[in-house]
Amino acid sequence: MNLLVVGCSHHRTPLALRERLAFDPGQIVSALSALRTRWPQTEAVLLSTCNRVELYLGGEEEQIPSAEQAAAFLAQFHALDSNLIQPYLYAYEDEDAVRHLFSVASSLDSMVLGEAQILGQVKQAYHLATQQGATGPILHAAFQTAVKVARRVANETALHQHRVSIPSVAVADFAQQVFDRFDDKQVLVIGAGEMAEETLKYLQQQGAQQIMVINRSLERAEQLAQCWHGRAVPWNQLVQAAAAADVIISTTGAQEPILTAETFRQVAALRRRWPLFILDLAVPRDVEPAVGEQSGVYLFSIDDLKATCEANRQQRDAELPAAMRIIEEETARFMANLHHKASTPLIVQLRQDWQRWKNHELQRLFNKLPHLDDHARGEIRQAFDRLVNKMLHLPLDTLRDQSRHGVPHNLLDALAKLFRLKD
Amino acid sequence: MGQMGIVFFAASYGAALVLELTHLWFPSRLRGALVVLFVAVGLLAHTVFLGYRAVTITGSPLSSEMDWCLLAAWLLVALYLGLVFSYPRSPFGLVLLPLALGLIGAGAWWASRTPYPQPAASQVWGFVHAAAILLATVAILAAFTAGVLYLLQAYQLKQRRGPSGRFWLPSLEWLQRMNSRSLSLALGALALGLFSGIVLNGINFQQHVPALPWADPLVITTLAMFGWLLVALVLVIWYRPADEVRKVAWITIVSFVFLLTALAALLLMDTAHGRTRHAPTNQTGGFARPEAEPNPLAKPFLSDEFWAAQAGGPPDAGFLSETIQTV
Repeated sequence: MNLLVVGCSHHRTPLALRERLAFDPGQIVSALSALRTRWPQTEAVLLSTCNRVELYLGGEEEQIPSAEQAAAFLAQFHALDSNLIQPYLYAYEDEDAVRHLFSVASSLDSMVLGEAQILGQVKQAYHLATQQGATGPILHAAFQTAVKVARRVANETALHQHRVSIPSVAVADFAQQVFDRFDDKQVLVIGAGEMAEETLKYLQQQGAQQIMVINRSLERAEQLAQCWHGRAVPWNQLVQAAAAADVIISTTGAQEPILTAETFRQVAALRRRWPLFILDLAVPRDVEPAVGEQSGVYLFSIDDLKATCEANRQQRDAELPAAMRIIEEETARFMANLHHKASTPLIVQLRQDWQRWKNHELQRLFNKLPHLDDHARGEIRQAFDRLVNKMLHLPLDTLRDQSRHGVPHNLLDALAKLFRLKD
Repeated sequence: MGQMGIVFFAASYGAALVLELTHLWFPSRLRGALVVLFVAVGLLAHTVFLGYRAVTITGSPLSSEMDWCLLAAWLLVALYLGLVFSYPRSPFGLVLLPLALGLIGAGAWWASRTPYPQPAASQVWGFVHAAAILLATVAILAAFTAGVLYLLQAYQLKQRRGPSGRFWLPSLEWLQRMNSRSLSLALGALALGLFSGIVLNGINFQQHVPALPWADPLVITTLAMFGWLLVALVLVIWYRPADEVRKVAWITIVSFVFLLTALAALLLMDTAHGRTRHAPTNQTGGFARPEAEPNPLAKPFLSDEFWAAQAGGPPDAGFLSETIQTV
């Protein structure tokens, strides 16, 4: 065993338990330090996100803790009963562990398939462990390859191209189809729903700066405006604010529409800039559907966005087999390289022996033929080099080939016996 | 190099267009690369063809109606190739490639392919005139492309459809900006084309060569197009109605119709523009229709040698450029 992962995720562990097992960055540093004290030869990376807590361990078989010991370590660190968490934990070894890491980094194991944040979280966890000196050759190779695999999945499949959360769909699939840039656009937020906050985050990422917040309670509007670096507008100026806005996000809890066709006629009379993009994220709706029939108005309700989310989710699911093929291919390649590394000491010895014999024979030949000039000696040296390389090529190729199925112990033993190499 | 060259690059663009059309039915990762390959190969052949014409045909380089049409098509395809790299999932090719193929078809079937020598005095202005009108034409076609995609995008958004996995359209704001900038460019280029045309007429007058009459169909249609572009630009900049879609639709369609009319006037109507006009060396003046001017409709794809033979040999240096003199 070279690699082990023990952890829990959103798949079968309740949020309450995940919260108790979660690590903040400070705790990760302490945990890695404690782990290295107890198992000094073990490489370790601790990944802790909202949806998963995973401890990756690497090293020689006899040097790394067992899955049970690792689980007990996690429980002890949080002062939890290990029997309580044991049923919720999973453990993968070697090839399964590599496959799991690649799937996690590529967001195939995420709650929202194809979400982009997990790769950043995996990188952060790896960097933190590296800073603490907790990583070594195995985990370096595993995590660096995981990042490459995630990029390959992103580039070669359309898994990340289809957004599936309502705020991200609202901004990327619709608002960005109307406007090219948002830094010169006025955004009006009506109400203070959670969804509006999420949507605003996306809009601000796209450069939105001019934000107006309107609420029946001016005090509440001012609080929110302060949070979002915008300005509060009194409720009685709704028509004027809507007339000045390019984007309207409405999320009130009102039972009747706020922006009726009648109100919108007043808004339209005052407007100087078109088009107008309206996101009605409220249930029941804040904007009368008739408003969306006006020319120059692009109105989207939560149902419109949900339909797109669902369609995008289906498109992502369709990309899953292609992504899985990449994971399988990369896992097999990684394991072959890992197994091949076990042959490295013997190969190095074999090469050194043959080089020594070659040099010895060359020296003998040159002593017997002292009249050879530099050019002739160079040619002979090259011929000997080629001969050694050709003779080594086949056995090394066979070793590499056999490494795809595990460490080729039989071949390595035979090689060691045939050429009297030290194990 | 003549007929086969045109068929080759037109076929390359046609294949790219067919591939673009298949976007509508099924997705494919290979298609983008194939489209680029076909367009790049076609554009290379197109470039070689125009280069060959420029260096081998007697008279002002690329001054015949056919060369002018093919050069406009070349610019459209180059624009398309640039857009493919910037916006790989956008269906610009569905509009730009048919326009380019239309120009190639018009150049091959209807346009005269006889180039004309340009007197030294009017060479610069002839070049400015030709380049400005060419730029205006390409800019109007680019505006048309942006306009069509704007209408498509507006329709999709009104239907509350997100971008499909197959096509990705640029935003309404981007398309409108491309539309208005292309129209502005077209207006500026057309103004320069008209001005240089007037200067050319002045030079002709000084050299006792009859000027192009104001009542010429091409002059009338081009002036009308200029007037319309002026109105369109005013509409684009100052008139911001809620019904932006209808405004863009009108501007796009009317500009395109004006351009088609001007091209029809050049290629099909009885215009004196671009015809060989003899300098009144031993006659009283006025210009005659070139007796040797072939009817390109009747015999497409005939060689330059054929036209030269029909014209009684290549025109001598005393003739003015046929194709690109005034509007």
